[in-house]
Amino acid sequence: MSSTKMSAAQAARQQENKRRWFEVIPPEGVPVRFEIATLGARFTAQLADIGLTVGATLVLTFGLMLLAPALDEVVGVLVALLMLLIRAPYYIISELFWNGQTLGKRATKLRVIAADGRGLTTHGIVIRNLMKEVEVFMPGSLLIASSGLGWFWSAVLLLWIGIVLGVPLFNRQRSRIGDMLGNTIVVRVPRPVLLPDLADQSPTEAFIFSAEHLEHYGRFELETLETLLRRHPENETTPPDASIVAVASQIIKKIGYTEPVPDDQALAFLHAFYRAQRAFLENKQVYGDVRDDKHHNQKSDTTDV
Amino acid sequence: MSEQSHMRSTRFRTEREADWRQLETLIEKTETKGVPSLSLEEAQQLAILYRKTATGLSVARDISMDRNLLVYLENLVARAFLAVYAPQESLSGVISRFFTASGPQAMRRSAGAIGLAFLAMTMGFFIAFALFGSDPAWFYTFIPADLAGERGPGASTEALRATLFQSEAQLAGQLGMFAAFLFSHNTRVALFAFALGVFACIPSFLLTLYNGLIIGAFAGLFAERDLGYELFGWLSIHGVTELSAIIIAAGGGFRMGFATLFPGEYSRKDALRIASRDAAKLAIIAAIMLLAAGLLEGFARQLIQNTEMRLLVGWSIGGLWLSWFLLAGRKAQ
Repeated sequence: MSSTKMSAAQAARQQENKRRWFEVIPPEGVPVRFEIATLGARFTAQLADIGLTVGATLVLTFGLMLLAPALDEVVGVLVALLMLLIRAPYYIISELFWNGQTLGKRATKLRVIAADGRGLTTHGIVIRNLMKEVEVFMPGSLLIASSGLGWFWSAVLLLWIGIVLGVPLFNRQRSRIGDMLGNTIVVRVPRPVLLPDLADQSPTEAFIFSAEHLEHYGRFELETLETLLRRHPENETTPPDASIVAVASQIIKKIGYTEPVPDDQALAFLHAFYRAQRAFLENKQVYGDVRDDKHHNQKSDTTDV
Repeated sequence: MSEQSHMRSTRFRTEREADWRQLETLIEKTETKGVPSLSLEEAQQLAILYRKTATGLSVARDISMDRNLLVYLENLVARAFLAVYAPQESLSGVISRFFTASGPQAMRRSAGAIGLAFLAMTMGFFIAFALFGSDPAWFYTFIPADLAGERGPGASTEALRATLFQSEAQLAGQLGMFAAFLFSHNTRVALFAFALGVFACIPSFLLTLYNGLIIGAFAGLFAERDLGYELFGWLSIHGVTELSAIIIAAGGGFRMGFATLFPGEYSRKDALRIASRDAAKLAIIAAIMLLAAGLLEGFARQLIQNTEMRLLVGWSIGGLWLSWFLLAGRKAQ
């Protein structure tokens, strides 16, 4: 592939390596992989939830003030009180009944799961949200009103904020203290769509590949090609764009395919090649020859000899 | 080789795709409407399809190189796993279990830690009381100026008496009092005593001791003016509940501290996790008690101006708490 293609592929691979995974082994014994949520996504979910609870508090406050105008004097107090009564129960109840999701988490496709491969426990949910009060909201609200604190409490507060911020930054599972105590993990649960099988089409006899043609690439290149072909289905009627032709000629050169491939056949060629390559690699894998990428030959050279 | 009928992964997919689609609709239903919305048949189907698909996933990992299929299957199995193992709790079940069994049981298991917190506070009380007796200047060492307010050694006896028997009758004033209490010094002490217990008990111990010192210094001052009995009544009505809450919160902190100090056969992380099961319950009990104390301070103390009545109300509420901790949830154990 060309140098720009390479760097794009490398970037994709780096992106892939940055993602962190957590494996749960349910009682059925088949490991289930979850992607650990990024701190950014969790922060967004948190902001959405804070927005919701603050909104609910304000609405309730206005309602109460309409009912009892005498409360006008203590409106700040009322807000603080309602906040306390709404916040923790909201998180606990929503995570308990929506299976680990608050509305904010639902919007960002996040979910709390138990780290031990069983269902979420009430205790886990309660403790992670109680600790959220202590970890996030208490220092947060003290920080807003920090002017009235003495040096001692300010120092305690700063130390506490430092610890609370440091913990999720420096552990692999990005857990808060509350997650550790409750034995929970926040993961991303997207909903991918099952697309048609690229290899499940009537075989074309137009292109024939021999075993030598298929020796060159490995799984990574196959998946990269799959991503490209998902955007360009075989029955696409528009003339193939330049990138398709470029990729096709790159592959033709690399595998040493000698038959001529006209430009308007480039897409058909790539689909045929994908099918052949996948069948080849899958077959190899069944017999224990796992080829992760195009460097598989070098690896086997060094280990076998 | 490129002929499709020879491709295991394609055949594998055509054989199972209908099951996956069906599982997906079932999961969709549980995610939006909850597990109870499933009929018995559907629930059984969910469990069966989940197991089938999980087995399918482990096969697919070996034989298929279709990335889209693998990603889809992994997520499908993950979502099915979450749907099958979703917590099956009802709100009333959780709450009643806490009050009738797990809460008081955790209290009884933590008796030692709570006893230690009680000891720290009484120690503080007697130290400050004795020191104030020898030299009233100690008062300002123990009590921050904003907490003392007009109640210092310089104040007249009449002014001190007035602080014990003032009344605020309007709703707004009472609510303000309630809230002022909740966000006050003592709540902060309870929170920190709990949360900082993780650091080997020491901060919790010092905080509880310090809280004892403050009460001791106040008691010394009022006793000197022969208002000891009245102060006792004033403190009793909410203080029995409030100080118990601080002690219980600190006891929760001590449980966590013990886990960090003496993890025993567990790793520290696991020991903390185990201790947190009880500690969290102590924190909830302390929070409930602080709320109750706030209500007592904001409303009841203003309504009851008689010291004997204050003592009666305060200590009988204390007795109620104690009998809850000691008696509830015995059979379930």
